Amino acid sequence: MNPENRRINALVNSVKIAIAVAFLIPLVFTLLVSLRPEVEPVTKGNIFFGSEITLDNFERAIAIAPWGLHYLNSIAFVGGTLAVQLITVTGAAYAFARMRFAGRSLLLLILMLQLMIPSGVLLVPNFRMIHTLGLFDTRVALMMPYWGSAFGVLLLRATFREVPIELEEAARIDGANLFQVLRNVYVPNAIPAYLAFSLVSVSAHWNEFLWPFIITRSEEIRPLTVGLNKLIKTTDQGAFYGQLMAGTLIVISPLVLLFLLFQRQFVESFARSGIR
Amino acid sequence: MNIRAVAVLFALMALLLLGAAQAQDDIVIDFYFPSATANDAEGIFQRYADMFEEQNAGISVNPVFTGSYTDTRNTILTELQGGGAGPDVAVMLSIDLYSFAEEGYIVPAQQFIDAMDMGDAYINDFFPALLANGADEAGNVWSIPFQRSTPILYYNADLLAEAGFDAPPSNNAELVEIAQALTTEDRDGLLVPVAGGFPIWMYQSFAIAYGQNIVGDDPTEVYFNSPEAVAAVEFLRSLGTDLGVGPAGGAAWGDTPTAFLAGQAAMIYHTTGNLTRILSGADFEVGVWYLPSGPAGEDGTGYGSPTGGGNLYIFDDGSKSQAELEAIWSWVQFLSSPEIQADWGATTGYIAANATAWETEPLASLAMQYPQYGVARDQLQFAAKEFSSYATITIQGIINGTLESILTGEAEDAQAAMDAAQAQIDSILAEYQ
Amino acid sequence: MRISPPRKPLLLSLQPYLLIAPTLLLVLMFNVLPAIRTVNDSLYKPARGLNAAGKPPEFVGFDNFRDIFDPAHYMGARFTRSFRNTIVFALATVGIGVPLGLMLALMLQHPQPLLGLWRFAVFYPALLPLIGAASIWSFIYSDSIGLANAVLKSFGHPGVNWLGDRNLVLMSVIIINIWKQAGYFMIFFLAGLQNIPRDIYEAAALDGAGARQQLTLLTLPLLRRTLLFVIVVAFTFAFQTVEQLQALGEGGPADSANLLLYLIFENISERRNWGYVNAMTLVLIGVVLTFTLSNFLLFEREESDR
Repeated sequence: MNPENRRINALVNSVKIAIAVAFLIPLVFTLLVSLRPEVEPVTKGNIFFGSEITLDNFERAIAIAPWGLHYLNSIAFVGGTLAVQLITVTGAAYAFARMRFAGRSLLLLILMLQLMIPSGVLLVPNFRMIHTLGLFDTRVALMMPYWGSAFGVLLLRATFREVPIELEEAARIDGANLFQVLRNVYVPNAIPAYLAFSLVSVSAHWNEFLWPFIITRSEEIRPLTVGLNKLIKTTDQGAFYGQLMAGTLIVISPLVLLFLLFQRQFVESFARSGIR
Repeated sequence: MNIRAVAVLFALMALLLLGAAQAQDDIVIDFYFPSATANDAEGIFQRYADMFEEQNAGISVNPVFTGSYTDTRNTILTELQGGGAGPDVAVMLSIDLYSFAEEGYIVPAQQFIDAMDMGDAYINDFFPALLANGADEAGNVWSIPFQRSTPILYYNADLLAEAGFDAPPSNNAELVEIAQALTTEDRDGLLVPVAGGFPIWMYQSFAIAYGQNIVGDDPTEVYFNSPEAVAAVEFLRSLGTDLGVGPAGGAAWGDTPTAFLAGQAAMIYHTTGNLTRILSGADFEVGVWYLPSGPAGEDGTGYGSPTGGGNLYIFDDGSKSQAELEAIWSWVQFLSSPEIQADWGATTGYIAANATAWETEPLASLAMQYPQYGVARDQLQFAAKEFSSYATITIQGIINGTLESILTGEAEDAQAAMDAAQAQIDSILAEYQ
Repeated sequence: MRISPPRKPLLLSLQPYLLIAPTLLLVLMFNVLPAIRTVNDSLYKPARGLNAAGKPPEFVGFDNFRDIFDPAHYMGARFTRSFRNTIVFALATVGIGVPLGLMLALMLQHPQPLLGLWRFAVFYPALLPLIGAASIWSFIYSDSIGLANAVLKSFGHPGVNWLGDRNLVLMSVIIINIWKQAGYFMIFFLAGLQNIPRDIYEAAALDGAGARQQLTLLTLPLLRRTLLFVIVVAFTFAFQTVEQLQALGEGGPADSANLLLYLIFENISERRNWGYVNAMTLVLIGVVLTFTLSNFLLFEREESDR
């Protein structure tokens, strides 16, 4: 190893450690604060452990919302959104990538408008639309504005165009219909793009708060973010950080633990799939 | 009349009765509530709903959590403006009255009170200060007090005693003197929570103490640039600058009680809604006293604080049947009854809104055990109307923004900033003259 | 060689339209039509004053736009700040978050001791709902009892008012978004890096290229497509995710950290401001359009270059 590379290596290592520590501090203290008595902020007593370890905060946080239900709702929300998106996006992407038809450019342009007019900006008109459709306070109302994704169409269209046309022609000669062509030729060749799109879609909707908050009223369908808002908005009585941190941990720990266990598989398969 | 005819008659009556029972069963009250407490408000409301349903066959209550006060207001307005049905009853800030009345979304409670046998006794049982924001300029009661509060002074009695003060401050001069004496490197002498989006409430107590509330009885009267209003904000700003007894720009709302409980603040201004939490969380003697009077008044004459908290609103766009409205009113009456007010007040710390509730268990014993609860109640005799006007949301936004820019030092000339704000406010209110 | 193509059956010629119909319909319903309505409504002011509820709005031309760009107007004062903050916020989160994500990917692409731990440390924030991430940071930033100030005080510094000082609060919010997104961007870069053939580096090393040259001459040019993709995603998130403000002082004090979409959310409830809300929405659309369109043009050109 030449001296330049060695110097770089040492630098890289120290930067790496510094960043990892900085990134982990919030998680570590979330855990520590959730285990301290509520009346003891970190400024009082030992900064790490306080005077005693208690599960009181968790008991109170658990009582405040049906977390299991919220978790399932969040999964249903992001899963249901993604499942429909994958279907609508595949069809549209194929049409724009490989078919010729009148008005193609115009229609693509209309689709692209979605990227410039995020539906999050249109809370009131979208509320009106959902209400007109009679879908207020339903799971469908949560997901519907996201079922069409111009971003996904553009991403897959670009990928589909790179699939050699000969593959499709060969399948067609074998008598494959459109569905079979998509399933056997295009989808397998676009797995990385599908993965990338899924990651973007899931993480965007997992975060969603304003829309679910406005469009739902029933606990039975409300996602995690709305449940967490209960702990944040204890406005009259001020901040209960122990309870808030315990609630936040309840919300995040299943996913964080899953990632911790399977991070290698996740990152490797995502990386190996070769998104470009 | 033959047997068959009688049988048919009976069958018809039975059907009618069944039908009536069915129709009664159909009354479902959608009840929206904000959660502003750390308690399990949902569990408590479910318990109240169960009690109510037991007493009122044929009516069921559907409690829906709708976030903070602001979230609740926005949620309901969005729903109604988007053509949705909205709630039947909601707990919203008492100052939201005009936002909803202007739009015709709510109906006055007055018509139901007038129809009651003991209507006067019912409404006169509430503390007058708590009715101020719920009534319009003609005296019609629109909304009924439910979870009410006022700002109050909490002090660490142990720290005050150590420093030789055996009584809490009763005016601003004493407040500053004690606060300065108790300020150390890791302790603030006085925290006034004006940071974090809603300074107007705490600020109002200083304006009142200086002798001029910033709002009049009529929803077109706002006095934000009066000499008293300016002096009040300058005093408030000086707490964090020249006097150095708290952080510049003011303390954050949520952190203030936590800092007080941790012994990092000797005195705080905060809501009475926090009384239960502070009394049960403190490992020192907690004193509670009226907000100190301003410089103008003698002891006791300049006391005053705005009221705060949430009222019960009744929603109807004219489409609800008499039976539905009666069911809705019985739920409102139930929640505002002395029994529920005593329970709700004791559980959360809000000031039970009617006098009888204070003689009702569990609140009666609690108030006996902790005299601090009585101080919160007694301060109500000096309490004044909380800020509320036409176009309340917008005007409050102007006032909050102006206060924040003065308190954070962005606007150095308080008078100029408040003159500009008053001009904006006047031009909005001119539309209502 | 075909001389005359056979006439397509009707169903087949309709096929492309059927394929795009669902997406198109949804985009029309939830994006295009509401936006057209917004354009129309931005030219009106709702009736104001007593008994305004039943009255029709008044046509005012571009007055709503004039007002929101007028700092002396009550909404203009709030809008101009939020507008500036939104631009700063987007540029900072993308300008710092994306390079940081790239740097992390470069450091964590090869097998090394504790690789799982390093990757977990930087990626887990991406798994948190934004509102949860913000609540964690609300504790760190708390003025009197927060972690950041506890640490500063232990070093003898009096501490700063992270969410209360108008000069700091936007930065405090930006830090959260960078912390939350850098690891997320890293994943895309890791995938992109995996795609670069190893032997290119070996050849370069044989030619005497050092690590720095390999990075600037090989890695970065070959990652261009990933970079563009990530930048598009990053800008989209930057303009649309404002949920952190819900847990962090709601954009205050005096809107010093408010963002456009949150300002819109705050104002949708008072009818008198609907004209302004519509005008602000259009401005936000304009901003998003400028950023996203320019990114996508680059992205598309990259496609056709290939």
